[in-house]
Amino acid sequence: MKIQPKTLLTSAAGFLVAVAAWQLVATGPMAGGPLPTVTSVAVNLAAVVVTEAFWTSLATTVGIALLGLLTSAVAGIALGILVGSFEPFRYATVAVLEFLKPIPPIVILPLVVLVLGPTGQMSWFLVFLGCLLPIIMQTVDGVHDADPVARDTARSYGLKEPEILLRVVLPSAMPFIGTAIRVAAPGALIITVVAGLLGGGPGLGQSIYQAQAGGDYPTLYALVIVLGVLGMFFQGATSAVERRMLHWHESFREAAHR
Amino acid sequence: MNRKLLLWLLGAGTPVLLLLLWWATSLQSTDTFFPPLKDILQSFQQLWLFAHFQSDVLVSLGNLLLGYAMASAVGVALGFVIALVLVARNVLEPLIHFLRSIPPVALVPIFISLVGFGTEMRVFSIALAALFPTLIATVDGIRSVDSGLKDVARVYRFTTVEKVTQVYLPSAAPQIFSGLQVSLQVAFVVMIASEMLGPSQGIGAMTLLAQQSFMISDMWAGILLLGVIGFAANIVFSLIRRRVLAWYIGSRRLARSS
Repeated sequence: MKIQPKTLLTSAAGFLVAVAAWQLVATGPMAGGPLPTVTSVAVNLAAVVVTEAFWTSLATTVGIALLGLLTSAVAGIALGILVGSFEPFRYATVAVLEFLKPIPPIVILPLVVLVLGPTGQMSWFLVFLGCLLPIIMQTVDGVHDADPVARDTARSYGLKEPEILLRVVLPSAMPFIGTAIRVAAPGALIITVVAGLLGGGPGLGQSIYQAQAGGDYPTLYALVIVLGVLGMFFQGATSAVERRMLHWHESFREAAHR
Repeated sequence: MNRKLLLWLLGAGTPVLLLLLWWATSLQSTDTFFPPLKDILQSFQQLWLFAHFQSDVLVSLGNLLLGYAMASAVGVALGFVIALVLVARNVLEPLIHFLRSIPPVALVPIFISLVGFGTEMRVFSIALAALFPTLIATVDGIRSVDSGLKDVARVYRFTTVEKVTQVYLPSAAPQIFSGLQVSLQVAFVVMIASEMLGPSQGIGAMTLLAQQSFMISDMWAGILLLGVIGFAANIVFSLIRRRVLAWYIGSRRLARSS
């Protein structure tokens, strides 16, 4: 998709107007209050970005989010295939999974903090739990979506069950799994930040908590802006990975030809 | 037939079995972090039925509902404006994409700094965080309205009001509802987070307080209540959705069976 120069211009203008409005409010009616000016936030942002502590906590945040996402993907796909392939398993777990699904991981945060303490392990565990259920459920759906004719064909060609699983069931479940991971990825980042902010886990969440508790509002705003940029990167990166890994699937084929 | 009954029993039986297992294995538990389920249920009854019901449970639910209602109304209305007015779209879209990439809970410290720890802070945090899923789903929903429908509306010279209420709103409704569902979950998470930061009342605050003062079974009672609320909110939403979108769900089922 090509962006028109005019569109770009209005978008930039909108952004500038928003920033200008913020600056006006911060220097005018709310001067000296808790709302920092754009300039002070920018100065702070520039000062924070060059410190080593900032990059350490940024790397910690991204690392925990990615590790949590990866481990929950591995566990979720394995469990999802298990649950999806055996009917008794599916019936036994459906009520439990449906009950747990709408409950966000922040609910058990106090317990996890109590057991594991304010550590990176605690943050990882919350991310792992938070991403696990959606990945399991999507994998189950994906396994069920496998074409029965393709399965029967594979069986009549004499493929063994593990081979069918690997060559027929898993590939047809891949788009479901890909979607689940793409949807879960921003969640992983959010949970890491929440674990730092509320549970004292390491990373940017903790830095935000310290800035807020210390009344250092320009740094607080600067960090929130960093998180916004990081979130956009995360979304873009996961979509790109999904497109690369699923380039053969029909929903991506058209895009490849364009 | 017999097999079906067996599977159904398995589905209904497993959660009951798990609960009984929890009860039985924890009955003699002396582990500080995992008290007997009996004690947890006792604390649950003492805390929430009904000593803190009015002072904390109702307050939390009230904030949740108010914030969510604001987010839904503004989200749908703004979504219409952005989808239908080109200038608004160009000006606001980059800004919205940036804001929605910020982890919603990270906005809570900013609201605390702006308006303090009061009820307004919580309602505003919930409303702003829950705004984006609905807003974005509404924009997408209106954009994917069938162009044939638009042309017909034009041929019949529908007024703008007629177009919005009779063409755009119904055909975007399925997507708006999935946005509203995500918003509900975000609102719930932010409700808990806003209570856990700083001294305040509410279920989240009570749970965290219990954790910090090592009243473990009280903390478990809080977790249990939050879990039940998260689950119940989702059920209520699904019921409303099924009522409002009955025509859509019916037509989908018909399309699939044919």
